[in-house]
Amino acid sequence: MAFDVDKYTATSVSVNWSDLDLESFRDHPLNETSLRTLRYMTDVEYHTVCYTRDLLTTPSHKEADMSAFMTMWNREEFWHGEALSTVLGIHGITVDFDEVKAGRMKLGWKDKLDPIKQSVLGKIAGNDFVAVHMAWGAANEWSAIQAYNRMADLEEDPVLAELLKRIAKQEARHVAFYTSQARDRLAKSKKAQVLARLALGNFWAPVGSSIMDRAEVVHVMNHLMSGPEGRKAARKIDAAISGLPGLQGLKIVEDSLDKLGIPA
Amino acid sequence: MTTIGEVGQRTRFDVREFARTARGNHRDTLQLSEYAATPLSPDVVRMVRYLGRLESATMEHLRNLLVTATHKDARVTAFLVTWAFEKFWIADALDAVLEANGQQRFQDAPEGKVRKSRSESSDRRGPISRAVSAIRLGVPIIAVHTTTGLIDEWITRAAYLRLAAQSKSAALASTISMILDVKKRHEDFFDDESRRRLSEDPRAVKLTRKTLLSASWPIGAVDRADDDRSFFETYVFGGEAGVAARSGIETQVASLPGLDGRDGYAVARKLHP
Repeated sequence: MAFDVDKYTATSVSVNWSDLDLESFRDHPLNETSLRTLRYMTDVEYHTVCYTRDLLTTPSHKEADMSAFMTMWNREEFWHGEALSTVLGIHGITVDFDEVKAGRMKLGWKDKLDPIKQSVLGKIAGNDFVAVHMAWGAANEWSAIQAYNRMADLEEDPVLAELLKRIAKQEARHVAFYTSQARDRLAKSKKAQVLARLALGNFWAPVGSSIMDRAEVVHVMNHLMSGPEGRKAARKIDAAISGLPGLQGLKIVEDSLDKLGIPA
Repeated sequence: MTTIGEVGQRTRFDVREFARTARGNHRDTLQLSEYAATPLSPDVVRMVRYLGRLESATMEHLRNLLVTATHKDARVTAFLVTWAFEKFWIADALDAVLEANGQQRFQDAPEGKVRKSRSESSDRRGPISRAVSAIRLGVPIIAVHTTTGLIDEWITRAAYLRLAAQSKSAALASTISMILDVKKRHEDFFDDESRRRLSEDPRAVKLTRKTLLSASWPIGAVDRADDDRSFFETYVFGGEAGVAARSGIETQVASLPGLDGRDGYAVARKLHP
C-alpha cells in the first residue's frame, strides 16, 4: 500500500515521555553496558540530519513527498535523541550539543569526502540511486526497531521499555515510508535493483558505523545482537530486506555481525 | 528572544526551548471561510504562491548547508531541524490560503523558466561544487550561512509586511501576522549566531562579505521562475514604500559586525535589479 505522506505529516509528533517516571532510574539505575549502548543510540539519533545530507545530494530532494517526509523524519529522530539523552542525564551522563559537535569534528577527511562521493554517485545513477537510498534507509530503520526492541527485552525495566516502545513505534512509520518508496522504485528498474544489491551487499554496515569508533559498534552489537536471540533479530531484518524486489537472499546484517566477530 | 544563560555579556538563543515549543499545523487559525466573500486579487495570490514556494524549499537549502562544515555544528543542525519543520507548516498555511481562493496548491501550479544570469552562477552551484570548495573554507562558512539566513529573514519579513498592507484582507493579514511571529525566532537565532561569529572571526567576516557581493535574494530565488522573481522584486521593493524597505535592509546589513555600507549596498542593489 502506498504511504500517505499527508497523513504522516499531519500526525507526526515529537515522542512524549512527560508521563513516564524517568526519575525511577535514580533508585534503579541502568547498568554500564546498557548506558554505553544508549549513548551510542543517542548519538546516532542526533546524527540523523547528517544522513539527510547524503540523501539530499541525490535527485530526491526535488520531490515534494520526499521533502515532506524528511522534514518530519528528521524532527522525530532529533526528539528520540532528546528522549534518550534525558535518560542518560538522570544517570549523570551529559550529552550536550557541543559534545555531539566534538564527535563530528573528529570525523575528518572521510566525512568531508562523503557528500562528494554520494553526489557524484547520485549524478551518475540519477533516479535509480534514490531507490538505493530508500532500500538503505529501510534497512537502517528496521535495524533501529530491532535494536530498541532487543534493548527493551534485555533490560526488563518497565519505564525504559515503554519509552523504547514509543520510539520504535515511530521508527515503524519510517520503515513504512522507506519500504514503500524502495519497493516502487526497485520494481520499476532492473538497474536500480542491481545497484541496490551491490551497494547493500558490499557497503552496508550497522547503523552508526560511519560515525562511532569500532569498539563502540562491537559493544552495541555484542550487547544487542549476539547469541541465539540476537541472531533471531538479525535474521528478521535480513528477511525484511530480502523481501524487496531484486534483493532476495541478501544477508547483510548476519554478514556484518560475522565480520565484527559477534558470536551467534 | 527565547534565552537561557549568559555567554559573556550576551544571552544565547535556547535551541532546546525552541525545539520544544515548535509551532506546527496552523489550519485551524486561518479563517479560510472569509475568502469566499472576499477573495484575494490575482497579484496577492501570486505573491502567496511565490512565498509558499520559497518557504517550502528547506530541503534544497539544507543540502547546500549540510555539505559544508555547518553540518558539524550540532547546535546549528538542531536548530535547522525545527526551522525546517516550522517552515513546512508556514508553506502549508499558504497552500491552504491558495486552496480557499480556488487556486492550485503551489507545488501543483505550473512554474516558468528560471532566470539565467551569469552573476548568479555561485548560488546555482550543485552540492558537489559546494562540498569541494567547503573543504578549503572550513568553519567560517557557518557564519556565512547564519548571516545570509538573517538577511533572508529581513527580506521575507519586508515581503510579508508589504503583502499584508496591499491585500486589504483581514484574514490574510492575520495569517501573515502569525507567520511573522513564527519566523521571529528564526531571525533571533540567525541574529545571535551571526553577530557572535562575525565579531569573533575576521575570516568569517571576509568570507561573508565576499558571498554578499554575488548573493541573490531571497535564498532559493535562483530555483524560482524568472517572471515570478521580477514580479516579487517590483511588488516588494518597487515604488516609494519599496525604496524605504530596501534602505532599511541596507542599513541593517551595514550595521552587522565587520560589515559596512558597501555590504549594505551590495545586498540592496540586488533586491530591485
